[in-house]
Amino acid sequence: MRDEPDVLATLLAGQDPAADAPSAGGSAVDHLPPASRAWGEIDTRSQTPRWGMLVDTERCIGCWSCAVVCKSENDVALGMWWNRILTDGDDLDTPSVDAHGHPQMEWLPLACQHCDDAPCEKVCPTAATYTNDEGIVLVDADKCIGCRYCMAACPYGVRVFNWGEPAKAPGVEEGMVPARPAGTVEKCSLCVHRIAENQQPSCVVSCPAQARIFGDLNDDDSHINQVLRDRGGDQLLEQKGTQPKVRYLPPRRRRSL
Amino acid sequence: MTIIATPSPTASSRRPWPRLAWYAVLGAGLLLGLFSFGYQWASGLTVTGLTNTVTWGLYIVVFMFLVGISAGGLIVVAGSELIGSHRLESLNVLAVIVSGTAIAAAAVSIIPDLGRPEMAWQMIVSPQPMSPLVWDMAVITIYLAIAAIDLWILTRPWPMPRALRVMAMVSLPVAVLVHSITAWIFGFLVARPFWNTAILAPLFISSALVSGTALVLVIAWIVHRVTAWEPPPHVFGDLGRLLAWFVAVDFFLLSAELITAYTSQTDYHLAPLHMLLTGRLAPVFWSQILLGVLVPFVVYAVPRLRARIPLLVGAATLSILGVFAKRVDILMPGMYDPQVSMAPGIPAGRPDQGFIIDELYVPTWVEYGVVVGIAAFAGALITIGVRRYVLPRPEQS
Repeated sequence: MRDEPDVLATLLAGQDPAADAPSAGGSAVDHLPPASRAWGEIDTRSQTPRWGMLVDTERCIGCWSCAVVCKSENDVALGMWWNRILTDGDDLDTPSVDAHGHPQMEWLPLACQHCDDAPCEKVCPTAATYTNDEGIVLVDADKCIGCRYCMAACPYGVRVFNWGEPAKAPGVEEGMVPARPAGTVEKCSLCVHRIAENQQPSCVVSCPAQARIFGDLNDDDSHINQVLRDRGGDQLLEQKGTQPKVRYLPPRRRRSL
Repeated sequence: MTIIATPSPTASSRRPWPRLAWYAVLGAGLLLGLFSFGYQWASGLTVTGLTNTVTWGLYIVVFMFLVGISAGGLIVVAGSELIGSHRLESLNVLAVIVSGTAIAAAAVSIIPDLGRPEMAWQMIVSPQPMSPLVWDMAVITIYLAIAAIDLWILTRPWPMPRALRVMAMVSLPVAVLVHSITAWIFGFLVARPFWNTAILAPLFISSALVSGTALVLVIAWIVHRVTAWEPPPHVFGDLGRLLAWFVAVDFFLLSAELITAYTSQTDYHLAPLHMLLTGRLAPVFWSQILLGVLVPFVVYAVPRLRARIPLLVGAATLSILGVFAKRVDILMPGMYDPQVSMAPGIPAGRPDQGFIIDELYVPTWVEYGVVVGIAAFAGALITIGVRRYVLPRPEQS
């Protein structure tokens, strides 16, 4: 125990515990306060990583932290969400009830599923939507003409369109990536800018219940692959054949208030 | 045809006011369209009624409708050419003008739907070959070229029967492709079960035949009424007889699809279907069936009714409106049917709105303004075409 580095003491002293980690230098992550960089490093990666995420719906407490952090990380405009938490019920505050009248506590955190066979990518007329070398489905805003065909093609409804100039709440600073122009479609990028710095996506880092596991699906030793081996992982709308790289762990026991 | 008063050949040149009034209407429509489009371009699509759930609306309905309209003309020309019939020959030029106009207007109507029209050139420099939208762009361009070549052939002072026959053989398959590919833009989407059916392409073709032929009939009648143009009187009845068949096939295909979906009794198929039969689209759907299919069919099918030309033209107008309603009935159930529909829904996309799940789409004045502009553009093209190629030139007569 004594031999472990005291991260808390280092942080309190204002030093950067990740300071001696190799850094590309001059990147967006340099702006992060040291606390953000102290944890959330990607555990392990293979030579050819293929990024995936596992959402443990048993652990999710429906707090929307990941959704809100995502908005500030990615400069997502007012009225838009890349990541949101769906409630099993009529509305956010009226969950469904079980046979005994007890409210159910089940949520479905939903963002881009980063499909291996992405319907949005197939229909995009300009190849603005593409899959990068590491399996992340991205939108090149410079190529997007705003036809919204991808939004019609996405079964998950996770794409949002900049109907006008992106609006921000007063006093809100910029995110870690440039805002997208009016007339373009955007969505979750799996925080590709953070992955480049060996950091996990901000929704993973910010989850207080640790309901999200991020990692390299091509690396047998990664945490995500260990859990996938142990508990499996469901695909959302599996019958659509989109083969998402975001998987869900179903709750193992009933949760109600 | 004694009930139709035949204007004297020089009527239009003697009384310029109706013509000038028509030009004024077209000009006002074009101005309104340009103004609405300019306003939308400056402010973004936020001035439309579209949201992140209903991402496609009136513009796409108009696009589907105009592509469909474009079938009639070329198929009337090519079809009768290939079966060796000359009964509709006198309509050839007019039919090709209507077709070419409709496809040109369809190409124009897709522009205001784009979030960044100024980036549309990306489709040419960076086309993604898997996208049905890219195929559609290509085939619409080819179709437009065919209409132009057909028009050129038909308006030579000397007849070119061989060239016309070759063009007929080329244009029929291309016409089928235009409608199929436009249908596949929707039909290939696994995310939209209501669209994801093999019958969509045949259905688009049958509706295209109805609306295209009906529009040729209506415009032929209008041109006949307001100008000196005299088609052989039998053409109206001939088109009416064709329309009886087209409407019947169109109705059969639609019924086949809806009955199959209905008997499946799975939520997957029933949710969009209930929207049509009993839900928010029921008024559009049932008036389409009654006024857009049944009433016109009776007029087309009963010889005594068909012989009354104004009645026939009225029926054709109903058919055109019916096919427009059918485009609404195809687009909207697909849009209103998100596959992941848990609370709170989908982000609306406007700063002052939260999440929406089942919001009613209502087009704004901007969308209507743009559509009026597109209609005026089509009207102007047809007017120019008719004056130039259909009416006898003053110096020739």
